[in-house]
Amino acid sequence: MENYAVEMLHITKKFPGIIANDDITLQLRKGEIHALLGENGAGKSTLMSVLFGLYRPEEGEIRMNGQKVEIRDPNDANDLGIGMVHQHFKLVECFTVLDNIIMGVEPTRGPFLNKGEAREKVLALSQKYGLLVDPDALVEDITVGMQQRTEILKMLYRDNDILIFDEPTAVLTPQEISELMQIMKNLAAEGKSILFISHKLAEIMTVADRCTVLRKGRYIGTVETKDTTAEELSAMMVGRQVNFSVDKKDITPGEVVLDVSHMTVASRLHKNDAVRDVSFQVRRGEIVCIAGIDGNGQTELVYGLSGLEPLKSGNIVLCGTDITHAPIRKRSSMGMSHIPEDRHKHGLVLDYTLEDNLVLQRYYEPEFTGKGGFLRRANIRAYAERLIEQYDVRSGQGPVTIARSMSGGNQQKAIVAREIDKDPELLIAVQPTRGLDVGAIEYIHSQIVTQRDAGKAVLLVSLELDEVMNVSDRILVMYEGEIVGEFDPKKVTVEELGLYMAGARRKEAAR
Amino acid sequence: MLLLVQYTLVFASVLTLVALGGCFSEHSGVINIGLEGIMVIGALGGALAMKFMPPGTPAPLILLLVTLAAALAGMLYSLLLAVAAINFKADQTLVGTAMNLLGTAAATVFVKAMNTARDVSNVSATIEYIEQKKALLIVDGTEFNWFMVITVIVLIGAYVVLYKTRFGLRLMACGEHPQAADSVGINVYRMRYAGVLISGALGGLGGIVYITAGVSAWRFEYGVAGFGFLALAVMIFGQWKPLHIALAALLFGLFRALSNVYSGFDVLASLPIPSAVYNMLPYIVSLIVLTFTSQKSRAPKAEGIPYDKGLR
Amino acid sequence: MKEKKRTTAFLARPGVQTFISSLLCIILGLFIGFIALLIINPGGAVKGILNVIQNFMYYPSQAVRIKYFGQTLVKAAPLVMCSLSVLFAYKVGLFNIGAAGQYVVGAGASLYCALALHMPWYICLLAAIAAGALLGALSGLLKAYRNVNEVISCIMLNWISLYAVNTLLGQVKEAASPYTKSLSSTNKSALLPNMGLNVIFKDDYVTLAIPLVIVVAVLIYIVLEKTRLGYELQATGANKAAAKYAGMRENRNLILTMAISGGLAGMGAALLYLTGFEQWSVTQSSLPGMGFNGIAAAFLGGLSPIGSIFSSYFIQHITSGGAYVDKTMYAAQISDFISSLIIYLCGFVLFFRHFMAGMVEAREAKKAKGSGSGAASETDGDSSSDKKGGEA
Repeated sequence: MENYAVEMLHITKKFPGIIANDDITLQLRKGEIHALLGENGAGKSTLMSVLFGLYRPEEGEIRMNGQKVEIRDPNDANDLGIGMVHQHFKLVECFTVLDNIIMGVEPTRGPFLNKGEAREKVLALSQKYGLLVDPDALVEDITVGMQQRTEILKMLYRDNDILIFDEPTAVLTPQEISELMQIMKNLAAEGKSILFISHKLAEIMTVADRCTVLRKGRYIGTVETKDTTAEELSAMMVGRQVNFSVDKKDITPGEVVLDVSHMTVASRLHKNDAVRDVSFQVRRGEIVCIAGIDGNGQTELVYGLSGLEPLKSGNIVLCGTDITHAPIRKRSSMGMSHIPEDRHKHGLVLDYTLEDNLVLQRYYEPEFTGKGGFLRRANIRAYAERLIEQYDVRSGQGPVTIARSMSGGNQQKAIVAREIDKDPELLIAVQPTRGLDVGAIEYIHSQIVTQRDAGKAVLLVSLELDEVMNVSDRILVMYEGEIVGEFDPKKVTVEELGLYMAGARRKEAAR
Repeated sequence: MLLLVQYTLVFASVLTLVALGGCFSEHSGVINIGLEGIMVIGALGGALAMKFMPPGTPAPLILLLVTLAAALAGMLYSLLLAVAAINFKADQTLVGTAMNLLGTAAATVFVKAMNTARDVSNVSATIEYIEQKKALLIVDGTEFNWFMVITVIVLIGAYVVLYKTRFGLRLMACGEHPQAADSVGINVYRMRYAGVLISGALGGLGGIVYITAGVSAWRFEYGVAGFGFLALAVMIFGQWKPLHIALAALLFGLFRALSNVYSGFDVLASLPIPSAVYNMLPYIVSLIVLTFTSQKSRAPKAEGIPYDKGLR
Repeated sequence: MKEKKRTTAFLARPGVQTFISSLLCIILGLFIGFIALLIINPGGAVKGILNVIQNFMYYPSQAVRIKYFGQTLVKAAPLVMCSLSVLFAYKVGLFNIGAAGQYVVGAGASLYCALALHMPWYICLLAAIAAGALLGALSGLLKAYRNVNEVISCIMLNWISLYAVNTLLGQVKEAASPYTKSLSSTNKSALLPNMGLNVIFKDDYVTLAIPLVIVVAVLIYIVLEKTRLGYELQATGANKAAAKYAGMRENRNLILTMAISGGLAGMGAALLYLTGFEQWSVTQSSLPGMGFNGIAAAFLGGLSPIGSIFSSYFIQHITSGGAYVDKTMYAAQISDFISSLIIYLCGFVLFFRHFMAGMVEAREAKKAKGSGSGAASETDGDSSSDKKGGEA
């Protein structure tokens, strides 16, 4: 019998109306890197929650080293040596790295904390595994990569042997990703067993020894990565062949719709400017994509364009009119549509109904507000019903569904419907497919391309290189608030883009 | 002048204690608007302890018992907030407001009932403690009392607990990022209970210090005249840090003391300023201070948000 | 079976759940109040709590009853205004604990206009609204541009207003008492018109204020639910960032909300003091309870403008009822005690409602199980998964 560090056997977990995990088996060998692959909603997080004792499964059992174990809460999991780097880091930002690492298992001398001892252990661990972090730095001051290393140190400090990484590369630069891959290999070499949750096939192929695939709550299979291909894994994950490329016909871009010159936007987070002297144009019938690692000024760039933040200097011209100082409403009525980065923060009023959200950009128009400032409810309803029909927005109770209760994909569809139906001159779409499943992603990509084909100007901001390469007509790479390169997606490789995104190379972009 | 110093120190003690209370509660993630009511109940606990102290009790024992009674009363009362905010995820501002109203109403009803039970003609809500109060003073005939010493001890204690102990680290983690705290096995509910109960104890203690400041009897219908709220302003001004809070409390205490003793200063008394202005002064000052400090104030991130274990 | 289904649907309606929750708060509040009376003096507890509940029904004579009913209404009118003030701000995501201070400046402005400037009632009323609105707008301004939490700024302004109004009205007080001069002897034109209501209630203090309050409540309902302004304000309250994204001027909305809210509270004060029912005491050192009771009434009324008419009446009813308890046994503040308990319990309303929704769901699940057919259980599965989504 083979020696497994952890075995999750025939796990079934049901929620009212849905079976989140249906007879799933996952076996993690000692010292291996094992990938867990699946789309959003495939049941990966439920399975991990079962492993951490957050949920009790209806059926199935968990074994460690062949022994059956009961995991009732995260503390049990901790005691058994299971640790996890969460997708959203569980770090207290105003604490130091060291405080975050020792939190929960603080060494004390008498009634007081004994940080000296802890610091030595942390320094020793970071040496051993090549995890360079300053233990006395505040978490809010360090880079995302360092924060992730802090999370890894947290597990190592607790002497965990089973390390779970939940989508760890989403926030990293290509260079940081390869560093992380190396770290994971080091850890495995030292005898740690690693479970690597991801939907990025290339990374799985690079680093994992084996891969278990889930789809819609069901176990599809476990394969050795050296015996398979990315295409095969993808078919297992989605259940059909996925068309990774987006069908686009060639169009020659028309007149300039958006003309940005020397735009500078201050940062809310630090003293430096978030966007520095950026100039570019977007024309009719083209999709210009801003690529870059999260946090390099893309958010602020869009805030500046849409009027959410004032410019420090520079000019924005939309369809020949200077809108540098125009209020948000003016920009919107002039034909700027904006699919925001954060649909919960900006895109929707979650406590409002779907219909009220669908008119969020137009409620003040005479069609929806009558004489004396009274809303024309019948018109709002009719309009909402049309959009719901046309854009296939699904919800429990149609127009009167509270937005909060809708699925992420349908919330995003509602926003896309609202912004596209405004018939804009310029569509700004920021990470429009974040957190969506393959079907919704394909749909939204096709909508964006349709807009372009109809002669609209599209500015797409994306962190996903696949999206950048497949959808755009022109790529601008942003690094530390500046545009460091302009590329034709047909003539550039992902690797080359990565170097620009990480700031290793730069060239003067066409201004 | 000495009088001004005395009152400044007395009021600064009150504000320090109560603001530190608020600080513990907020660092654990619970907004405590109910400090005003907690002060009233703490004051009631302390006043009752003094009233029923047998004559001839040694002074240190009186001090100890009164302190304990006030802290305990405040702590018990703060359970109302803890249960509602932590277990039932109630709106913390609403519950705090209710506690403020309830504190004064309950104390008034209680004291009146007690007074009436002893003497049918006595329908006042006043408790007197002329003799007992002397035990609290360091120097008889002044307002320098032992509570000032206790305040300094509490202040140092609060600093050490928050920054040098395991408890403090965990408490602050719960107010900043409860999910993170939970993920490393810290019981967020229990830490929040601790934060609220400590704020109850300190708020209660502040209550008794307040009603022994310069007077030897208290009418409970008056409540504590917005002192709990001033303490919240002190806490914000002090940026949720104990030492800053103490400094802020001194400043606010000075302005509050002015309204008590301004008539003793010939210069001030001769100015054509109505007494109401002096009464308003601490509130005006705190409003101005908040106007210029709130922009960059950094409250514990998760304060006011009920923690739900299910939502990670 | 059919009957049962109807009760389930009835219980599932949010309005009904709110009503039941509020009722539960009232009953629990009265019950705890009763226990307190029992502890203080077991002999008079039943009579005491009945006094509180009965209020004017204490009097045997029909005529006297209607007079005191009228007086309860007179005091309920400003309370409705205060609760509308709290409710309006809360719907826009602001906690207007400053209703008390806005009420105070409303009283100050209306009485000063009436007594010192000898203005007619409608000018006094407008002055009160303006004063309250200005004070509210100040809190809104501080929140919008200086990030000062409205709860704290309102509280500071409450006390500042109290001392300021005491000073202001000190100029129009009676020589021998701390009370302001009476309207009927100084300036009759400042008294609110009776509109014949005084005949019905046999009480001169019953005025235009009563119907006016109901009109205002309905207006507030219409503004919130039917107009573009209500749509904007509530969007701002629910999600400030989204409101800004949609081109709404979120800071203006914030200030406007606080101004409207303050105006309502200020108007409330005028509707009481311009009846001549009460005079302002310039030595008072605590804030009038009206603003705080407004918080209770707003929440007890399920945050609905129409609901707050009834909840305000109820709270005033028991507050007035407190005056009838036997003073040799209990303090009149027993009714403050009960109403503050009710506010406290209102904090649990959400929990009560969740609990009820859970009950309804459980009952539906049970019913579906009972019917046993595959199709039925499948639809049940669907509906409960929708619910689940609704909570997430």
